[in-house]
Amino acid sequence: MNGMTGIPLPDYTALPEAVRERSARIEAREVVLDVQSLDKRFGKAGQETEVLQDVSFAVRRREFLCILGPSGCGKSTLIRILGGLEPKSGGSIKVKGREVEGADADRGMVFQEYSLFPWLTLQQNVMFGPKMTGRGGTDKAAEALQWLEMIGLAGRAKSYPHQVSGGMKQRVAIARALANYPGVLLMDEPFGALDAQTRTQMQDHLLQIWRNVDVTIAFITHDLEEAIYLADRILVLDAHPGRVKEIITVPLERPRRREMLLSPYFLATRKRLEELIHTGSGAERDLLPMIRLTQVGDDVE
Amino acid sequence: MHSSARGHGWVLGIASFALPLLVWSAISYLPFLWHPMVRITDPGQVDYFVKDMQIERATFLEENRKLAEAGRIPAQGVRENPVYLPAPHLVAKALFTAFRTPPRLAGDPWLHESLAHSIRIIFYGFALSCLVGIPLGLLCGSVPPASGLFEPFIDFIRYMPAPAFGALAVAITGIHDAPKVAIIFIGTFFQMVLVISNTARNLPKALQQAAQTLGAKSGQIVMHVVLPGILPQLYRDLRILLGWAWTYLIVAELIGASSGISFFINQQAKYRNYANVFAAIIIIGCIGIGTDTLLKYLGRWLFPWEPRR
Repeated sequence: MNGMTGIPLPDYTALPEAVRERSARIEAREVVLDVQSLDKRFGKAGQETEVLQDVSFAVRRREFLCILGPSGCGKSTLIRILGGLEPKSGGSIKVKGREVEGADADRGMVFQEYSLFPWLTLQQNVMFGPKMTGRGGTDKAAEALQWLEMIGLAGRAKSYPHQVSGGMKQRVAIARALANYPGVLLMDEPFGALDAQTRTQMQDHLLQIWRNVDVTIAFITHDLEEAIYLADRILVLDAHPGRVKEIITVPLERPRRREMLLSPYFLATRKRLEELIHTGSGAERDLLPMIRLTQVGDDVE
Repeated sequence: MHSSARGHGWVLGIASFALPLLVWSAISYLPFLWHPMVRITDPGQVDYFVKDMQIERATFLEENRKLAEAGRIPAQGVRENPVYLPAPHLVAKALFTAFRTPPRLAGDPWLHESLAHSIRIIFYGFALSCLVGIPLGLLCGSVPPASGLFEPFIDFIRYMPAPAFGALAVAITGIHDAPKVAIIFIGTFFQMVLVISNTARNLPKALQQAAQTLGAKSGQIVMHVVLPGILPQLYRDLRILLGWAWTYLIVAELIGASSGISFFINQQAKYRNYANVFAAIIIIGCIGIGTDTLLKYLGRWLFPWEPRR
C-alpha cells in the first residue's frame, strides 16, 4: 500500500455527522455484554502461554461489534470464552449485568463449521433451543416457521440439512440461535467456509435480520472488508498475547450499501486496519529465499 | 455423475454375479476346458474298472493303450469334472429339492431345521454381544477414563482368534448350544466395543457445543444430540459386525456336538452329495445378503436424514 499514492483519504476518526449521531444514540443504551480484564493462559503453571491479556470492552444493546485480528491472535478463543465453551483464566464477563459462567441460552452462537443437527429438519433445528429451554411461545413449530420465513427458507422447512446449500445452512444456524432470544449473538467467522459470492449475500442477509430483530452481535472475522461493511465498531486484537489494540468506530452511515466499499471513508478505515494488523508481522513480507528457475530475459515484471 | 454411476451400478451388480456363473457354466458344460476325470460307461476288459466309476483321464488313457497293444477290448467312458464340482443345473435342482428331501438318517435334522438352528445361535450370540457391547462401547467413547480402563485389555483379547477359545467354552458351558453362542459372542463383542467407542468419539464436538449454546443441559445433550448423532453410524457398525458373526458361525457349530448348517454340510459331503453342499453354502450367502439388504433399507427408513451412499 505504501507505494500507492492514489486519492487523498479522509481521517478515519473524523466521523460524518450521521454516524456521530448514531454512535451517541448507541452510547446512551444499556450495556449488554461487558468484558473486563479478561485473561486466558494455556499450559502448565510456569510455562504458560498467554493467549489473551487484559481484554476489556463493552457492547451495547443492538450494537454490531466486529472483532478483527490476524490469524493466531486468539480471537476464536475469545469468542469461545464468551460463549462459555472454554474457561477463562481471569477477569469478568457480564451479560446484562449478570456474571456468566459456562454456556447458556443467553449467548447464542453461530460457528464457522456447519453445526446444524443433521437428524432434524430445518424447522426442528430452529425449534431445538426453545424446546430445550422452554423459551419462546407455546406453539414452537409455528414460531420456528416464522423464523424460517424471515430468512426466506419457509419452503424448505421439512428439508434436512444435507439437502440445502452451505449458505442456507448458515442462515438456519442464525435463525436457530435467534429463536432462543439470546441477549448477545456470538458469531465465529460464520461465513468463513462460504464462497465469496455467497458470503457477500450472507452479509446483506445478516444486516437485514439484525435490523429486524432486537439482538446485539459480536462477530469474529479476519476479513477487513467484512468487518467494515458490517460493524458499528471494530475491535482490533493484537497477537501474542491477544490485547485490544484499538477500537474503531466505522465512519459509514446505515443502511450499508455495496457502493460504500469504494467510498473514501471506507478506504481510509481499511488503510488504518491494514496498518494495525500488519505492523509487527514484517516476517510475512520478507522475500522468499528463491533461486531463479526461468530463462534470462523471460521476466514478468 | 452420480446418477450415471448409479445406473452403471445396476449393470455392474448383475455382471458381478453373472461372470462367476458364466465361468462355472463354461467349466461344467464345455468338456474340452477342464474335465480331468472320466466316468466309465463300459469297463471293457480292464479288470478293475466298474461302470459309473470315476477315474483320472491319464490312467484311463494308459489302461486303454495297454489294452490296444494286447489287442483286447478297450473301455468306454465320458469326460467329467471331479465329483466335488457339480454343474450349475444340479446345484439349482438341489436348491429346489433340498428343503423337501428328508434326511438320510431318521432323527437327523431337515435342512430348514439346520438353518433355523444356525440362525438361533447367531441371534443369541449377537444379541448378547450387543446387550453388553453397545453400552460399554458408548461408555468408553464418551468417558475418557472408561476408555483408558477397558480398551487396552479389550484390544489385547481382540487379537486372539475366537475359535481358540473353543475347547475352553466347551469345558465351561457343555457341548450343546452354549459354547457356540459363546464363540459368536467372543468373536463379535471385543470388536464391537472398540468400533462403537470409536463411533461415539467421532461425533463432531461442534454439535454438542452448539447444543450447549442453545441452552441444553448435559442430560438433554446425551438424549437429544449424542444418541441421535451416532445412531446411524452405530447401525452401520452393527450391520458389519453381524457379517462377522456369520463367519464365526461355521467354526462355532463344529465345536462340541456338531449342529446347524455346518452339520448339514458335513453330512452331505460325507454322502458325496456336493450339489447339496453347494446349495447350502449358497443359501447361507443368500441369507447374509438378504438380511443386509433388508437392514440397509430399514436404515434408510429409520434415518431419513442420512445422505444416500
